[in-house]
Amino acid sequence: MPTPPRQRQPGELVFTLLLLLGSLTMLWQAYGISKFESITSAGMFPMLATLTMVVTALVFLRHTLRATRAPAVGSGSAETLAQQFVRQLTPPVVVGFTASIAAYMLALEPLGFVVSSYLFMVVGMRLLGSPRWLLNLAVSAVCLAAIYLVFQTAFSVVLPKGTWLQALLAAAPGGAK
Amino acid sequence: MEALGYFFTTWADPYLLFLTAAGTFAGIYIGAIPGLSVTMAVSILISFTFKWQVNEALALISGIYLGGVYGGSRSAILLNIPGAPSAIATGLDGYPLAKLGEAGTAIGLTTVVSVFGGFVGILALAIAAPAVSGLALMFAPRDYLMLAIWGILLVGSLSGGSLAKGIFSGALGVLIGMVGLDPMTAEPRFTFGSLQLTAGISYVAAMIGFFGVAEVLMQLHELKLKAIKQNVSKILPSWGLLKKYLPLSLRTSGIGVVVGALPGAGGDIAALMAYDHAKRTVKNPSRPFGEGAYEGLVAPESANNAAVGGAYIPMLTLGIPGDAVTAVIIGAMYIHGLKPGPMLMIETPHLFWFTVGSLTLANCFLLVFGLSGIKLFAKIVETPKPILLPVILVLSAVGAYAINNNPVDVYWMLAFGVFGYFLKMYGFQVGPVILGMILGPMMDKSYRQAMISAEGNVGQFMGEFFTSPLSAIILAALVLTMASQTAWWKKLRGLT
Repeated sequence: MPTPPRQRQPGELVFTLLLLLGSLTMLWQAYGISKFESITSAGMFPMLATLTMVVTALVFLRHTLRATRAPAVGSGSAETLAQQFVRQLTPPVVVGFTASIAAYMLALEPLGFVVSSYLFMVVGMRLLGSPRWLLNLAVSAVCLAAIYLVFQTAFSVVLPKGTWLQALLAAAPGGAK
Repeated sequence: MEALGYFFTTWADPYLLFLTAAGTFAGIYIGAIPGLSVTMAVSILISFTFKWQVNEALALISGIYLGGVYGGSRSAILLNIPGAPSAIATGLDGYPLAKLGEAGTAIGLTTVVSVFGGFVGILALAIAAPAVSGLALMFAPRDYLMLAIWGILLVGSLSGGSLAKGIFSGALGVLIGMVGLDPMTAEPRFTFGSLQLTAGISYVAAMIGFFGVAEVLMQLHELKLKAIKQNVSKILPSWGLLKKYLPLSLRTSGIGVVVGALPGAGGDIAALMAYDHAKRTVKNPSRPFGEGAYEGLVAPESANNAAVGGAYIPMLTLGIPGDAVTAVIIGAMYIHGLKPGPMLMIETPHLFWFTVGSLTLANCFLLVFGLSGIKLFAKIVETPKPILLPVILVLSAVGAYAINNNPVDVYWMLAFGVFGYFLKMYGFQVGPVILGMILGPMMDKSYRQAMISAEGNVGQFMGEFFTSPLSAIILAALVLTMASQTAWWKKLRGLT
């Protein structure tokens, strides 16, 4: 009995095309390093690597094109491809949590490790469905204290103190210089 | 005698003893908590330990690795969620045993056979590594190039993914590994005119991104999975039970060592192969397989811990990782100025025997920690993901920041994390990317050395792959690996 064709995931074709496009760009970049100057030049191995990427990207592009589109789910109104993509790959929890990670990372330098990490943990726990604020506040405080003590003292990691916080402290009357 | 002295370094130094114990303890819990992987833990840890003495870092990592491989079995038995890929087979019979009220016996038996398998793996490492190292001295640059390609291919294909995707991931890793200045000619490669990129991209940031952040994002799809709580009672298995399963444990430990030693094939594949072996060879299991057979626990758990010693063999002797964790450990060794490979064994034999000693000690600690504190453990592994995941993220951020005290590494981590998430969602393996990043510069160097020795003649370069017996064997293995993944091969096997 012939095996049924594989179902294509929403967004898979676009992702594959993006990988192919990226690989071609990198191949062009690799060519630009030292062109075909010599077989042992700095650009030769990068060219081989990026060429491999292009060829394999073409192979799975072919597979993706052969696969059938995922059927619409739900009765009555059919789900669009964009809706399927959001449901399967970028549900609100993934988007929201990724955005909060990005915000946390941007806040690390200005707010410092302690403040930004605490805020991130409390907000993150709530975002992921931990409903009790008090518990989130307490657990975040305990975890942060443990992380700070272990890494600052045992591992001697210099954690960001926070440029804004430092400026604020310096500006305060009798504050740190 | 000298080797014995190096072997007992960890045992004699109270601080190293403490680090090994702490690593094993942490490894068991990290491996057991679904969502935390050993690879993730070691990746994050590297960024903190690079300022340490190499002995201290290796002792801690040995403990985490060994403990983590074992720890995965705990949650597989108690929650039916394998804490690590190497524990997938364990859950098949472990969870039914827990449902029958035998969770304690299952954990006890798993602990003892894991320790037994661990010792077999370490013994194999101690015996085989010096011999393989001697053989590796005969390797030419082209052989290293092919071994590296083979390793990447195996990681990509044996773990169940598509061959094309595995190769793509490996090549992508090689590309990322080459960003920066060419070490031979100082020409910029893939820097896009950015001064920041001339120093290259930190593979530790990439590792934390691919194994930490991407994994956390994947876990967000399973936030609502609820664990069924188990009663854990009698833990120590009876001597009769152990005696009965010792021959099976020995056989499957052998499978673990061999599979673990194959570049790219780690404890997960070893465990599945051992489970399959037990299913085929055990005529009268204690219960049918899949319904709580002790044999279904003994086989994978002996094999996956034996695979740890096996995986160290290609890592220390050839500089080729046995699995994703050893790929990360190679990264740690490079950070400490060591170059795993045949010269490591000759120039720094103390490090080899030190590693063997640390692993042996970690295995002893595994027995102690494995048989104690299980009730507390059962509570910890039930930590809800909404609490756990933000904490992992903070640890990842600290890890990435600690590399250079530079927020740019944290941004790289997030970028690789999001990219890794989409790669995983579309069926790509991220293991080959990391392997490619670590092995890429070595492959580039080996390619150029091999080509220079062939006087730039492509025909001669290609011909040497067939005229040297060693090169021909590695080439055959590589071609066989690729062929075994093709539809043509699968069709042929289906017909015969």
